[in-house]
Amino acid sequence: MNFQRINAIFEKDMKDFMKNTMLLFMPVTPILLAALYSQMSMGEGDGMPISLVYLVVGVVFSTTTSGLIMIMMAEENEKMTLRGLIMSPASFWDIIIGKSLVTALLTLVTLIISLLFTDIEHFFNIKAMTGLILLFLFFLFLGMGVGLFVKSVGITSAYLLPIMFLFGFTPMFEAFNLADTAMKVAETFPIIQLLKMHEDNSWAPLGVVSLWVIGAALFAYICFIRTRRDD
Amino acid sequence: MKHAIQVKKLRKEFNKKAALEDVDFEVYQGEIFGLLGPSGSGKTTTIKILTGELKKTSGNVSVLDMKPDLFTSSDFKSQIGILSDNSTLYERLTVYDNLKLFCKLYNAPLQQIDEVLIQVNLKNDSKKVVSKLSKGMKQRVLLAKALIHKPKLIFLDEPTSALDPGNMAHIHQGLRALNKAGTTIFLTTHNMEEATELCDRVAFLHKGQIQELDKPDDLRYKYSNNTFHIETFSGEKLEIENVPENAEQIKELIIEGSVKRMYTDNPTLGQIFLKVTGRELV
Repeated sequence: MNFQRINAIFEKDMKDFMKNTMLLFMPVTPILLAALYSQMSMGEGDGMPISLVYLVVGVVFSTTTSGLIMIMMAEENEKMTLRGLIMSPASFWDIIIGKSLVTALLTLVTLIISLLFTDIEHFFNIKAMTGLILLFLFFLFLGMGVGLFVKSVGITSAYLLPIMFLFGFTPMFEAFNLADTAMKVAETFPIIQLLKMHEDNSWAPLGVVSLWVIGAALFAYICFIRTRRDD
Repeated sequence: MKHAIQVKKLRKEFNKKAALEDVDFEVYQGEIFGLLGPSGSGKTTTIKILTGELKKTSGNVSVLDMKPDLFTSSDFKSQIGILSDNSTLYERLTVYDNLKLFCKLYNAPLQQIDEVLIQVNLKNDSKKVVSKLSKGMKQRVLLAKALIHKPKLIFLDEPTSALDPGNMAHIHQGLRALNKAGTTIFLTTHNMEEATELCDRVAFLHKGQIQELDKPDDLRYKYSNNTFHIETFSGEKLEIENVPENAEQIKELIIEGSVKRMYTDNPTLGQIFLKVTGRELV
């Protein structure tokens, strides 16, 4: 790993981000949603229900984390600029870390603002924070993999919507009256596992989320290797 | 002489169809080597194999004494520069910001940016956003990007294809200076004048095979019809074969003072290519 190269990619991405209106507005959606939910639950006394807080967390990670990195990677892929980075002396890790830093920074800002609107106190403990970090990594790798997999930015929305629905809005599944098997599958999803962690005060769900992170990381790695060569 | 590139019996197949067959050539350190061929002849495939963007099917390849399994290493990448059809720029960023990124990635000093911008005649355009540049200007920025770290070996795939004659001449001057400083240049081109002017040696690639490989002047001599064309003051046009038996006849014409014009008609590289392959370089 080379910090100068990581910093060079971060600096370039930051400048590019500031000039990309499409990306600039992406963090706005979860913040507006959080503000709306906070108004809806005002005056209920016990604060916002934890499932609603995690719904906001899911929307932040799916739209900001997955959405941003997916579009950034897809654009690099579509315009062949990623090949320029790959053909430079920057290593796999230099590129991956460098390209993730802007997303990480924006996710952090969006998450803090959104949680300030809802209920940030739920996350003032190591276990919950570890859960958020794992969740961030899962959505980051998932978005990165899809961004590398698709051939153009235009196609990303077709993938972003299912990711938002499946992994971001999972806390709403109970309200959908799904079949038992579908619910059982949904219960293994990362956000439901973190909700379980809050309810049961157990560390086990973090293990399940870690497996999701490893799976998403493998997916991103395979997609990255695919883009390295033309054959 | 030391080799910068060695290619032996190189073969590349796409879906079991050969794009390159038994390709053999060597590029010496410090030379400008031109790979000439029409579209689809395998030039870009060759460059991609030599830069690690494609895997060969069989044969031996060595670049800067490194085998293909090292072509993905930072050490290899920092010693080569590439300008290919895959090369692109960040359109929303300025020329300077694009070059700054690659300067840092290659660990080159930032002063290099001004140096390469002068080399590609873009010194006054460094603050311009890339999306606002013409195709020719973008091509020059890409060339600057490939040169930013002063590579030992540079691969140029059709480097002047989008340039006007003035900028082409400027780039040629820059490439010759770079070559004089010790950089080996491997270039592909359709432009025969460019190849004749720049290259120390050229190879004709056609249907995935090397058809000819030599110095441009030697090739022109090899394919000339070995005839002197003489025009006399009396308007007579003579064609005399360049053989020792005809020396006296030529000498006499010169002594008589009757020679108005005398020339040989060595063919151009384009004509030779047509003769060798049966098709033009387009």
